[in-house]
Order: sequence, then C-alpha cells, then structure tokens
Amino acid sequence: MAAIAKPLSRRHAEEHEDPREHLMHDPLPRGKMNEMVMEAMHETGWKFWVATGFLTLVVLGALVYAWYYLIMEGLGVAGVNRPVFWGIFLVNVVFWIGISHAGTFISAILRVLKVESRRPFTRAAELMTTFGLVQAGFSVFMHMGRVWLTYWMFPIPNERMLWPDFHSPLMWDLMAITTYLLSSTMYLFLPLIPDLAMARDRTEGGWRKTFYKILALGFRGTEGEWKNLTTAMNIFAFAIIPVMFSVHTIVSWDFAMASRPGWSSTVFGPYFVIGALHSGMAAVAIVLFLLRNTMKHYKYFIRPEHFDTIGMLMFMVSMAWAYFYFNDYIVPWYGGDVWAKLFQEWAEKGPHWYLWYIMLFCNIVVPWSILWNRKWRRTPWLLAIAGILINVGMWLERYIIIPEGLTINRMPFTWRVYVPGIEIALTIGLFALFFLLYMLASRLIPLIPVWEVQEGQEAHLIRKIGKAEISTLSDME
Amino acid sequence: MTSNLELPVFTNNSEAELGGKWGMVVDRDLCTGCQACVAACSMENNVPFVGETDMAYGRGMHWIRVERLWEGLEADYQEVKMTSYQPLMCQQCHNAPCEPVCPVYAAVHSMSEDINLQVYNRCVGTRYCANNCPYQARVFNWRDYTDYRPGNTADNDPSWSVLQNHLNPDVTVRRRGVMEKCTFCIQRIHKAEDTAKSEGRDVRDGEVVPACAQACPANAITFGRIDDPESMVSKAAETSRGSLLLEEMRTQPRVTYLAGGA
Amino acid sequence: MSKQLSRRDFLKLATAGAATSAVLTGCGPASRYVKREPYMKMPEYTYNGLSTYYATTCRECAAACGLVVRTMQGRAIKVEGNAENPVNLGKTCARGQATLQGLYNPDRVENPTQQGRGKGAASQMDWDAAIQVVAEALKNNDPSEIAFLMGTAPDHLFDLVSDLANAIGAPAPVRFGALSMFESRATLSRAAEELFGQSAMPYFDIANSDLVLSFGANFLETWISPVSFTREYAQMRRGKPRKRGYFVQFESRMSQTAAKADEWVPLRPGTEGLVALAIGKLVAEAKDTAVPASFEAIDPAEVARTADVKLETLEHIAQLVVDSEHPLAVPGGTAVGQTNGLATAESVLALNAQFGNYGMTGGVYISPLGPNQDEYHRPASPEEMLNLIWKMKDGKVKVLFIHGVNPVFELPSHLGFLDTLQYVPQVISFATFPDETAVASDYIFPDHHGLESWGYQRAVVSSQPVLSGAQPVISPFFNTRATADVLIAAAQQAGGQFAEALPFADEVAFIQSKLSPLVGDPDGSFLAPEINMFSAYFQQHGGWWKNDPALSAPIASGALTKKLDPGVAEFSGEGEFFFVPFVSPTIGEAGANKPWLQELPDPTTTVTWNTWVEMNPETAHELGIDNDDIVEVMSEAGSVQAAVYLYPAIRPDVIAMPFGQGHTAYGQFAAGRGANPVNILSIHFNAAGDLAFAGVKVNVKKTGRKHELARMEGKVGVYEFRKE
Repeated sequence: MAAIAKPLSRRHAEEHEDPREHLMHDPLPRGKMNEMVMEAMHETGWKFWVATGFLTLVVLGALVYAWYYLIMEGLGVAGVNRPVFWGIFLVNVVFWIGISHAGTFISAILRVLKVESRRPFTRAAELMTTFGLVQAGFSVFMHMGRVWLTYWMFPIPNERMLWPDFHSPLMWDLMAITTYLLSSTMYLFLPLIPDLAMARDRTEGGWRKTFYKILALGFRGTEGEWKNLTTAMNIFAFAIIPVMFSVHTIVSWDFAMASRPGWSSTVFGPYFVIGALHSGMAAVAIVLFLLRNTMKHYKYFIRPEHFDTIGMLMFMVSMAWAYFYFNDYIVPWYGGDVWAKLFQEWAEKGPHWYLWYIMLFCNIVVPWSILWNRKWRRTPWLLAIAGILINVGMWLERYIIIPEGLTINRMPFTWRVYVPGIEIALTIGLFALFFLLYMLASRLIPLIPVWEVQEGQEAHLIRKIGKAEISTLSDME
Repeated sequence: MTSNLELPVFTNNSEAELGGKWGMVVDRDLCTGCQACVAACSMENNVPFVGETDMAYGRGMHWIRVERLWEGLEADYQEVKMTSYQPLMCQQCHNAPCEPVCPVYAAVHSMSEDINLQVYNRCVGTRYCANNCPYQARVFNWRDYTDYRPGNTADNDPSWSVLQNHLNPDVTVRRRGVMEKCTFCIQRIHKAEDTAKSEGRDVRDGEVVPACAQACPANAITFGRIDDPESMVSKAAETSRGSLLLEEMRTQPRVTYLAGGA
Repeated sequence: MSKQLSRRDFLKLATAGAATSAVLTGCGPASRYVKREPYMKMPEYTYNGLSTYYATTCRECAAACGLVVRTMQGRAIKVEGNAENPVNLGKTCARGQATLQGLYNPDRVENPTQQGRGKGAASQMDWDAAIQVVAEALKNNDPSEIAFLMGTAPDHLFDLVSDLANAIGAPAPVRFGALSMFESRATLSRAAEELFGQSAMPYFDIANSDLVLSFGANFLETWISPVSFTREYAQMRRGKPRKRGYFVQFESRMSQTAAKADEWVPLRPGTEGLVALAIGKLVAEAKDTAVPASFEAIDPAEVARTADVKLETLEHIAQLVVDSEHPLAVPGGTAVGQTNGLATAESVLALNAQFGNYGMTGGVYISPLGPNQDEYHRPASPEEMLNLIWKMKDGKVKVLFIHGVNPVFELPSHLGFLDTLQYVPQVISFATFPDETAVASDYIFPDHHGLESWGYQRAVVSSQPVLSGAQPVISPFFNTRATADVLIAAAQQAGGQFAEALPFADEVAFIQSKLSPLVGDPDGSFLAPEINMFSAYFQQHGGWWKNDPALSAPIASGALTKKLDPGVAEFSGEGEFFFVPFVSPTIGEAGANKPWLQELPDPTTTVTWNTWVEMNPETAHELGIDNDDIVEVMSEAGSVQAAVYLYPAIRPDVIAMPFGQGHTAYGQFAAGRGANPVNILSIHFNAAGDLAFAGVKVNVKKTGRKHELARMEGKVGVYEFRKE
C-alpha cells in the first residue's frame, strides 16, 4: 500500500507552479471555513426541495409500496425462478456493500497512510459506507421469502430453543455486515463530533440546536478531548481496515462456498474486494462531483486535485480488477471443470452476451482510456461519467455472476433465463433512497470535516528555510 | 459405483450411518415418462399447482420431475434420439450440500432416517439451499398457491377452496416464502415404523412405499432399506447398470439410477 | 425534559408498545393460516386420525383399473391402485391419481339444472321434478324415437340402459368416446373378424415378447389400457432373466411410446401396412422359407421408397425378427386411423401370423369376454355416430339422453353434432361437469362423480375376464344423483312397460341382479354362497375376476393366404403437411378440468396447460416460424390456432397436435385454453367405419402473435446451450 502514497507525495513535491491550486496551500481562516460549511448546510434552494420531494415520492412508490406488495404477494412478483433462485436483490446486496467499501478505504487507509488530499472528502465517503450498508441490508431483507421472520437469524435466546447455524455462509455474512455497519457508523461518528460541536456553537436555538447538542456529546475542544478523540480515531482507523477486507471476502464466500459451477472459486475473496473498491471509488467520484456542483462553497473544498487522487486510485483498482477477472478464467481452466467452462461461455455467448461486453467496456476500457491522462483526471464531469460507467459495469458484473450465472447448473434440463420483475422498481427505489439519505444528511451534518481541513492547512503552512522549519501562520493573519 | 476420488467426507458418522437407511432405485430403462409418479406425489404431499404463467417461468412445484434431453439434434431428424426418461426427486444425500448453508436449521439431516428434512416452519426463505442443490431438486413457494380464501392476494379463485378437501392431513400445507422438496414420503415411513414398533417387529421390506413408487405402472421405482443387503432395493442397486447422479460431487445420494437403453 | 418519567408511566408505555407490536404481528402474514372446519357429524366407520380405505374402479377412462381410495373423516384423500385387480395390479396412471380433483372440483354441476341449451339463465330444480321430466320423456315419446348416447364407462349403466332400451323397443344405446375413436377400436375388432372370423379385441402379449414391432400403437400413453400395457412393457424389458426385450416403433412422430423404443422408424404416414408386409416378405426371405401369399406381391425396395425409410432399416428389422424368439407386431394409433386403416391392421395381424405367434407366448390372442357378457360391446365407431346424427337431423329422435360422453367436444365439429342438437326437441344430459354437450342440453341431471358411485366396469383387454367393481368412497359431495337411480325412479313413475323393464329398488339392486349369475362360479376370485355376501366381497375386493387366463388362440388359417393390399392411405385436403392428432398422454379425453393434470408436463414436449403444434425445426425454419409463434393450422374442414413447439423428432412433412384441450366449457381450468385439433379433421372413414383421423393434410400459416408455452424443460439447457 505504500505504493499508493509515494506517487502522491512526489507529485506534491513537484508542483510548485501554483501552490494555491491545492486546498492545503490555499488556506482560509477557520471561522470563514466554518461559516462556509454552515451556510452550505443551511441555505436550501427550491431545487433542493423539488429534488427531495421527487426522491421521497420515488422511495414511497418504488420502495415502500413495492416492498409491501412483494411481501404480501410473495416472491412470485419478482423475477426469480428455478434455477435462478437469487436475482437482482442479491446483485444489489453485493453492489451496495461494494459501494460502502470505498468510504472506509478512503477514510481509514488514506488516513493511516496520511494521504493529505483525503481530508475534505473523508466524511462524504464514510457516509457512503453507512448508507450503502443500509441499502444492502434492505436488499437482503427484500430477498427473503419470509422477511417477517428475519429475527430467526439473530443469535438471541428464543422460545424455539434454536440457535442459528453458523455453518452457513449467510450467518457469517450477517455477522460481518452487522459488525461492519456498527463499526463504520462509529467511525463516521467519531470525526464528526468536532464538527457537530462547531455546528452546535454556530446554531441559534431551534431543533437544530437540540440535535447538535445531543450528538456533539458535549465536545468543547479541550486538549484532553482532542487527545482522546484522536486516539479513538486512530484505533478505529486501524481496526476497521481488516473488517472492511473481511466483509467483502465473506460476501464473496456466499458464492464461493456454494457448490455451483463458476461460483466455487478460491479467487473470489480478493476478487470481490477489488471489485468492491472499483465500484466504491467510482461512486466517490460521482458523489464528489455532485457535492462540488450542488453545495454552496464546496468548490473551495473539493478541487480537481481530489478528483486527480480518486482518478489514480480508480485507475489502479481497475487494473487490479482486470487481473483478478481474467485470473478467474485461469483457475477454472486449470481445474478443467466442464460446468465452469459452460458458465463462462454462457456469459460470453449466451443470450445476454452484450452484458458481458458492456461490463468489460465499462470496467476496463473506460477507466484505462480516461484515467491515464492527468488533465482528464482533473476534469470533474469526466470523472463523474467514468464513475457512473464503472458502477454500471460493476453492477453488471454482479448481475452476470448471480442471476446470469445461476442459469447454469449441473442439471441442464432446468436451465432458464432470468427476467427481472418488481426488482427493477425496488432497485430504483433503493438508489432513490440512497440519494435521499445523502441529501437529508447534507442538511443535517457538515459534509466537510472542517477541523481536518484546518489541521492539514496548518500543517502545510510550515515552510522550510534552509534547515529550519518555520511556521508561516503569521503571514496569513 | 466406487469412485477413485475418495476424498474425506466431512461428517463424523459411523460406517453404518454412512451406508444409509432408506434408499431408492430408479430404473431409467423402465420409466415411460407417464407422469403418474408426479401426479401421485402431488396428491400425496399437497403440492400446489401454479398455473400456466408461473409454469412457463420455471416455477412448477413438482417434487419429482421427469427429465429428458435430446441426442443428435444436429443430425437428421431420423437420427434424433430422446435420452431415457429420468425421474428426478430429492436424492436425500448423506453429505447434503443444502444442509450446511441454511442459517436457521430449516434444512437438517434426520439421523434416524438418514434423509434430508425440510422444516417448513423454520424456513425464512433465503433459498440458499436450492442454489446449492446440484440436482435442482428443491422448489420454492413463490406465491400462496394453496390459499384460496377471498381477498387473498394471490390470483386464486375463492371457489377453488373445494379442492382443499383432498389435502392430505398427514402433510403440512406450505405457504409462500418457504422451500420444500421430496421427503421420501416420510409420513408413510413413520406410519410403517410406528405400526412395526407396536407389533414388536422390524419394518418389512416393501412395507413402506412412497407415493411415486406406489403409482408407477412400470415399477421403475423401488424403495426400501439400503442398510439391509437382502432388501429389494439393495439388490436392485447392485446391478452393473447402477450409478449415482453427479457422483463426483460426493454428495452420497441415496437414489441409484439404473441405466436406460441396452 | 424537566418532567420526570415515573415508573408507572414507563410501565404504561412499555405495555402499550408491547400491545402494539403484538397486534402488528397478529395482522402480519404469519398469522394467516388455512381455515379449519369442524367435523360436526362423523360418518359411520370413521374415526378421528384413522384412514378408511375403499376399493373402487377408476372412471377416468374405460380400462377398468381398480383403485383403493384413502378417505379420512369423510373426505377422499388419496387414490391408490388396487393391488388385487388383475388389470392394474395396484398401479395407476396420472389421470387416475388426479381423479380427486374431478371429485372436489369447483366447477361440478351441483344441482339438477334446467339448462335451456345455454340460452338464458339456467335454473336449479329439485330431483322430484327432474325425475318427472325423465319419466315424461320416456312415456310421452315413441320408443323408437328415444335415443341413448353413452360413454365408454361405466358398463353397469350401459347394461341398464341396454336392458331398458331392449324392453321398451327403443334403439340400442350408442356408445362413444374420443379415446376409442383415437384407438380405432372398431377397426381392430373388425380386422380380427376379417382374419380370424371372430369380432373381438385382439390381445397382444407384450409382456412375454422379446421383440415388439409397434405400428403406431401408442400403448404406453392412452391406448386401450395404458397401465396394464406399461406393466407389460416393463416385463418385456426387464421381466426375463437374460434377454432384454427389444422394441421398434413405426410412427411419423416420436410419441411417448416411440421415445421408449430402441429404434424409431419415422415412416411416411399411411404406409404402415405396406411396411408390415415388406417386413413379412423380408423375414420369409431371410429365413429362406416360402413367401406366403399375403406378402407375395410386395417389393420391399419399392415399399422403402414409398415409406421414405431406408431398405437397410427394413432388412435390419427383418433380421431382428429372425434372431428373436417371440416377435410381436402391434397395430394401432395413427397407423390404423387412416383410410387404409383396416387393411393396415390386417397386414400387421398377418405379419404376426408370419411370425407364427398366434396363441403362442408373446404373441396374439383373442381377449376373453368380460364376466356377465354375452357378446363384445364394441364402442360405436364415428360412422355409427354419423348415422345417429343423420337420424337426429331427420327428426327421428325426439329425446336424447346423454351420459358419460361429450360429443360436442370429442367429435369433429365437421360432423355437425352441435348443430344437429337443434333438431332434437329434448336433450337430457347426465353430465357431472358442465361440459360442452351438457351446456347445450335442455336439462343437466348430474350423475355422481365416479368415486361417489356404484357400478362395475369390464376390462377391455385382459388375459382373464375382469369385472372391476365400483362403490362410493364418500357420501355425495353435491346434490347429485346416480343416473341409474334416476332412470329406475323415472321408469317406475312412467309405469307400464318401463316399470317392468327396470323392476329394481335402486342401482345397487340392479347391480346385484347382474352379479347374481356369477355367485356360484368356482373359478372366481372369491367364493360366496349367496348374493349379499358376494356383493360384500365384491365391494371389499373391488371386483370379481376369473383366476385363470381365458385367452383363446385365433384361427390363423386364412391369415397368410388372404390377399392384402393396404396401399398408401388417401389424404383429404390440399395441404402441404400430414396432420397427426394424438391424445394428450397426460390429459386424455376428459382431464382438462383437473388443474393438476393441466400442470403435468407432456412426456415428450414437457408442455403444460396448453395446446401446441409440433413441427420439425427445419420445416419451421423454412416457414420463418419459431418456438411459441402462434400458427393457424388449416385443413379443408377448418382451422385452429396454437403455439408452435419445434419438435426435433418429427418428420419434416408432418404436423402434430395433441387432443384434450380447446374446451369452450367444462369449467374454469379447461375453458378457453388451447385448441381442439378435431375441429380440423375432415370426415373420412376407413372400411371399418372408424374415422381416418390421421388422414388429413393441412397448411400452416404464421399469425404473427406469440404465446409462450409453459414448458417444464428449460429451453436453454435442452436445446440452445448444451453440454458438449
């Protein structure tokens, strides 16, 4: 992972032409930044309410009502059948867990590696983690035949005297996702505390005051509080990394542990992790683009340099993904299993062959042809488009693995094609819910970790003159 | 029947248990594909019908299905051959892939009968077991196919409730969201075992007949104790025509198929 | 939050929360269970938790399979085979299993109904009024103008109606069924008459044969007695210790029976007789024996060309015959349902004579007469039905009683049965279901379902005479009444010769009167000193049969000398394709109203719930037709529409369609579903008066619409994306 940090720092060293291009070298007084963030949070135009209203309607119709209908009718209204017992619901589970990965990756790994350009967008990425997991959880519940009995999967003492079966990869999954949801929520919350305190101090009464008051946990910014907070954040940053890697590995085991051709593969663990990062990074690019262009003052915080960082990560992850994808061909080839070969042929030459080509185009061709160029990487809209395409590609990758792949089993008499039904509405509803949650969050919590930016900027105001390091903080004031 | 790929099996059962208790032999040479077994099974086990639309989409609830494939499709029509009919039901694997993947112990192994059980009221409908079944022998209640009450959300006509009069009281009626599969007519096994126990004897060979074997006009299905080397089913399984389906999966199925054709 | 939450308040809140969640759970899906009904009045012989088993006879077809029905608390739960009955030996077919769905069917006729021919609203009647109607219909009409149209089952009712008709001087009841039409039973027994001088159903000992050459006989599907034939087939294959029986099927499409054959010879329709004769000649040549006169004029090479099969195939089959010990040739199905059907049947029987298997193990016999039967009851051929129709048209039928048959659906619409009904002033149906014929009647006086009925049925083909007995397994579910009881009561009411014709207290008394001649028979399956005990045993065992086989050997003298010239069948119409209708193996003639039979996949195509058109993929490709395209199949008699199934094992010049669907009435599961192929059959009879149902040529036109056929098979794995 050191490989990630190095080129970034080298680039910082090289670029002297216009230091103000960098957020870290373009400092503003803390009070000003706080004001900007608070303003972005408070000033809400009619466009926001129109968008929120629309998304609310979509969520109510395509998610709440559709899910109610699904529960009352049974899964017959979805497109699942025999042999495609798992459909888009599971595609969405994997997809959203994948999205949720980037948050932690960016926030924790880059924090641990002290990558400076992470500072303004860690919060946005962490929010993605939490909200992505919410979507993933919903998808799991939608998928279940008897969702009203979900609690039977929880290891709680019950009158049925029955413990869940921890042999089942689904239980590992449940445990891993729950752990991940809890820890990532905590990890979102810890760096949020100083900003909530800031918001509390800058809010004059009303429900917002109460809201921030409760959430800020009485944080006043004393030395001791900062020390404790930093320690906690460091512990979490280190601890959450293995959790993050394990979660998607375990998600991949849902498939790899099944005795199905094409699924039962040892490469699935790292392959799924990389796939998750691929879509997650791309999603971060989209979110950054949206924040930069919709939130007031955010153009100051989110700059082309950040897209540059994300773009490089996307490029690298895309290459890694490509390696694993074709590795997934070599393993079955070596195994010589006729069924696994059919599974691959089905994806390439079956009736939905175009999905396979679209997937490769989006996941490999798009990033490789856009992201090698520094100038293009620094073009926010181009990166957002690349991000959208990569997410389409990664969604399709999961689609090809799950419903497409399930067509192929060891009983050719049963092979059938999957045609999605109500899943489409529910997927739209889930996306709407994600954006709705994000939009509501943008009004409630500061999406830019002001204190972190400030901290970074202060650190960069130290100039090197000869052998001495001199603070230039006074120049600014 | 013996595989040269004997890998360790992840169970800790005794040799006797590995041998199995109840088993079935299906003679593909005799099966005429007449569907009597399917009808008998459905009547015995309260298997619901799903209607044309859902049948067309692969949601038939048949616990046993008669498979057939084609040979020589590329050749002239005169050379086209149909493969032998193959009635396929749950193979009651000893080393069943469906069992460990269930998070709520709905797919469990019966130690006393050595067959796979599906406990309907535990099932939460993750459908992992069905995915993991190499034989695709499991079927899912996609809708409330047996609920005919007025106002029911499924597209069933309330007048169909007359049909419920022939439901077998020995077998649970399943509702939507639940996985199900062939049980080897365990209600019949239990009845025969209870009778034998009350009469102080062992179950006689041929005393237990599942609905499919009972109906089969060609006598293509033989059922009985495979732990008894003298039983009809053990003898039938021993012929050189016998093989297990997907034996390479090492699921140790309890159904032996006898080859069709010459 | 200045106000403190007291402990009492907390408890209140907690309880309210708990109550809310409980209510929500209660309303949730998990609480919706199937309705339970209390069993208020326990019938006799019924104990809680214990099943009662009753032996009876299946009435889904006329084969007389014995059933044992498991009942519990007055409900019929499960149909099982009667292991004692020699016809089926404890086995059943799918239709027998699903008979419960006919019993507990939401669409049964629940009350006697004044139907009014479907015009205007039907109104319910009571049974007294119904019997009054029947009595007046008998009394007020000239006996010669009363017509009875009966189905192939049950036999006891046919006997009763025959007695009644005889006594009052009415014409003998006409007996018909779609199955017998597609089996060409009349042709088979006529061929036996021509060759053996005895009009009887030939009996083919498939079980003991080691080489079966089947000329279109679909004996594993619906042919005559499928359960017993399937059992015999199994014995033929694996019943003998050393040799596995070999099986060759000559048929233009691969039927379910042909699918089980070792060799399927797809010959051109209508040439089966020629092929049989050619094989006879080749066998004689291979054996170096004199060629019998029957086969003299045949040139096998010419026949091979005509039949579009390879000469080597015929020679190979002849060699198989030479190498086998008990070869057997069976005629039936589409081979006999041709204009040359009678000659074809004779040719195949002559081929058996050439094999020398008359009266031998694994050969041809003559079926024994059923118990209590003095002559073979032959079902009416379609030609006889045509005679009835003409009679109706001429106004010579004043009242028509119909029971157990649905001619509006089963007869080719070209025969015009439905239109002819308007010339009959009074049509009285005894149908259990509101089928097409019942709907077009003046009255429906519903008979019990077969499982609620008394009766008996004789086995059509069996090595020993079998009288399979029926008894009610449950009390009648609806307000129905046995037709025999209705007729007896009506005859009593009509008085005079009618009362004398049926001097019985009820149906059971009539059946006992028919059983009484059997009481003393020492060869019977049980012995009883007097009729009451005999009846009790009869119910208990599910019938009575002779212990020993009573097959007789046909007299073969003329079989090999008779000049046979089946030639090539004539086909009516200008169409491009031969049209082969066949009875759906799962639905049969009258199974479409049972949802589980609809849901059963067809054995060859795995299609459920609908009618399909079988077409060779190459043919379809040439016509630009794909799977599930709805096509119009047009003959000179009419056209039907159904979705196409690209069937790889059918001749490119043949189009096939299953019979069984395409109902316009007959309950919600049947009505408006699929198409009825008999509607495009033109009316040509063979020399025995059977319909040449396979003697039509058709054209096919794409309609541009599609309907996805509900297949059990996945098209992907079976056709498009195959392993290897």
